[in-house]
Amino acid sequence: MTFFAGVLLLLPTLFWNQGPQSANTLRQAGIHEIAVPPDLASAWKSVSGFAIQTADPGQLTKLPAPGITIRNRQASATQAPWVVSNGWRLLRQPDGHFYYDAPGAAAALAAAEAFMYNAQAVIHTDEAGLAPLGQMLKFLTTVGPKDLPPKVNIAFVDDGSAASGEFMNLLVRRNLLFKVVKSPDPKADLNVALGEPDYPKSEASNPALLAEKVRANLTDPKRLLRIYGSEVVISRLMGTRDQGRIYLLNYAGSKYPIEGVRVKVLGNYSQPRLENPDASQTDLMDISRKANALEFTVPQLNNFAVVNLTR
Amino acid sequence: MNRRTFLQFATATPLLGASIDTASLPKYRIVTRPEDETARSSGKNVPGLPGLYPGRYVRVHSEKAVDGQANSVNASAVSEMLSAGMRTLTGVSNDRDAWAQFISPHDVVGIKVNCSGAPKINSNPELVAAIISNLMSLDVPAHNIYIYDRFQNQMRIVDFGPHVPAGVQTAAAEDRRGSILGYDPYTYVEVDFFGEDDTRSNLIRLVAEKFTKVINVPTMKEHRAAGVTGCLKNLGYGNFSNVARSHRSEKTNTYSFIGTLDSVSTLRSKTVLNIADGLRSLWQGGPFLQADKFLFFPKQIVVGTDPVAMDHYLIDMIEAKRREEGAPSLFDRSRSHVRRGPELDPNFNSFIREPGHVEYASHLGLGVYDKSAIKERVIEL
Repeated sequence: MTFFAGVLLLLPTLFWNQGPQSANTLRQAGIHEIAVPPDLASAWKSVSGFAIQTADPGQLTKLPAPGITIRNRQASATQAPWVVSNGWRLLRQPDGHFYYDAPGAAAALAAAEAFMYNAQAVIHTDEAGLAPLGQMLKFLTTVGPKDLPPKVNIAFVDDGSAASGEFMNLLVRRNLLFKVVKSPDPKADLNVALGEPDYPKSEASNPALLAEKVRANLTDPKRLLRIYGSEVVISRLMGTRDQGRIYLLNYAGSKYPIEGVRVKVLGNYSQPRLENPDASQTDLMDISRKANALEFTVPQLNNFAVVNLTR
Repeated sequence: MNRRTFLQFATATPLLGASIDTASLPKYRIVTRPEDETARSSGKNVPGLPGLYPGRYVRVHSEKAVDGQANSVNASAVSEMLSAGMRTLTGVSNDRDAWAQFISPHDVVGIKVNCSGAPKINSNPELVAAIISNLMSLDVPAHNIYIYDRFQNQMRIVDFGPHVPAGVQTAAAEDRRGSILGYDPYTYVEVDFFGEDDTRSNLIRLVAEKFTKVINVPTMKEHRAAGVTGCLKNLGYGNFSNVARSHRSEKTNTYSFIGTLDSVSTLRSKTVLNIADGLRSLWQGGPFLQADKFLFFPKQIVVGTDPVAMDHYLIDMIEAKRREEGAPSLFDRSRSHVRRGPELDPNFNSFIREPGHVEYASHLGLGVYDKSAIKERVIEL
């Protein structure tokens, strides 16, 4: 079954269920590619300047809007905000087709998140979300190449259970870079599976503890990527032999920009170059290289940034 | 499961060992700029803690210093107290010569204040102004004098500007809470206390890059985690980022973290004077003023270079006040006295306090803790 009729979506796309009378609204937001319900397809195809896909939300995997939940009054081991991230879902279903319902500024986060995980996704938003989404989509078209493979050193053996899903969610949250596998990968620095002695199912109700064990077993010096200065930034590292790329997504969104995110990436990289949607800042700060690692500071992270690296 | 283990570098001094169970302490890793490490290891031109006068301090009291009812500070009395303290500490007969032992006209001086209890309990602008007056009498240009702390919002409450000459700079590491741009990415202490992901605490960038000398001007208060907040805590927790992570539930790692931060050579080597502001004090609920009933007025300042000796006195001072008020000792570790929430009842506290951080700092070579080896001078004006 084709969930998105037409070509494979290379970028996340706005799902829009209003008729062609709203075309100017979309144009003002800089959006010229949309996915619409099948019953609106013919009407939209007569509107010039738009590339139209059709999508049936009923056939797509629904995702919550990415963001954070402040939990000052909730008893917990940490006051860190809860991050609503779909990374684990996108990793678990690499061939999946997803539907975000992301009003307002969350639409831009949703687009960046889907892009970061190479996911096939449409994003439904409201009028307030059109401008930020349009800006993000415009930026994403400039990021290339888009087929860099992820760099990971943890293999997660997924049994498909909800508990394993939450385990993976915490690994994503802690920027522990993993791939989902069906059986252990001898090439990985660490294989992880719920139910193994280090990660017993009896501890599944505390996925934060399980993630902490993964971190301890991997050891910090082997972490491919470290983020300092924020608890709400989730990152991915992509790359080939010759180049690398880091995605940094601020789940608090551009309403709460982060002043200074320090990044440490393992590997003999050099010449990090910053790109971001608003192009307000392009210079990284305090770049240093030592001991097979590169460090730098992103001066301000609004919602999303890409750092390209060369060897 | 074992936590990640880091190599423990500079904190593993020869002084540690016999009386400290280092195995039970967090594993610290200190990272500094190469030039700072070179200076430290060469032993050349590295003054700083415990400074020129280890094991000594001068307490100066003046009944005129504070009007307790109006809660107002008498600037001229404070200036006299500072003068008396500095001359007595240094053994010279005039202020200029006393200050010249620590500061030269070419220095860029950072005055580390404490604004965490503002507006009622903080480093007083009158004392800071008196310090600046002495610096300027040494021909240190106003623009080379910085009043600084971590948080801009707290400094704004105190508002030092109207009290000091034009040109003197005020600076906060965090104009906006959580910003790391005001910290030096090359100078930090790395440690994992509770599995937190950000394991670095970085030194304020101005200290690493600009200041040649630091004058520490702490308040003298009870502190619900550290037991007391005086010279050592103001210097350590007040100069590094991301330190609140050292507390969780009733457990606080202030015991070893404060001294470890203070021992970072970049900071330690530049800190030449401690001038503790004891004009006002708190005996419960610190570092913030949670209720006026915990405020009291010692009407004194303490001057010295040795933060350990000075903070040992602070412990004694707060302990005496708590005894007078019928409150448990700072050293009480009974869980029956632990209760989360505002510390409005002196019988309860959110943390098991760690006043032992002062003695621990002595094991790092930061000063003298042994009372029998400390020389206290008391001046009454």
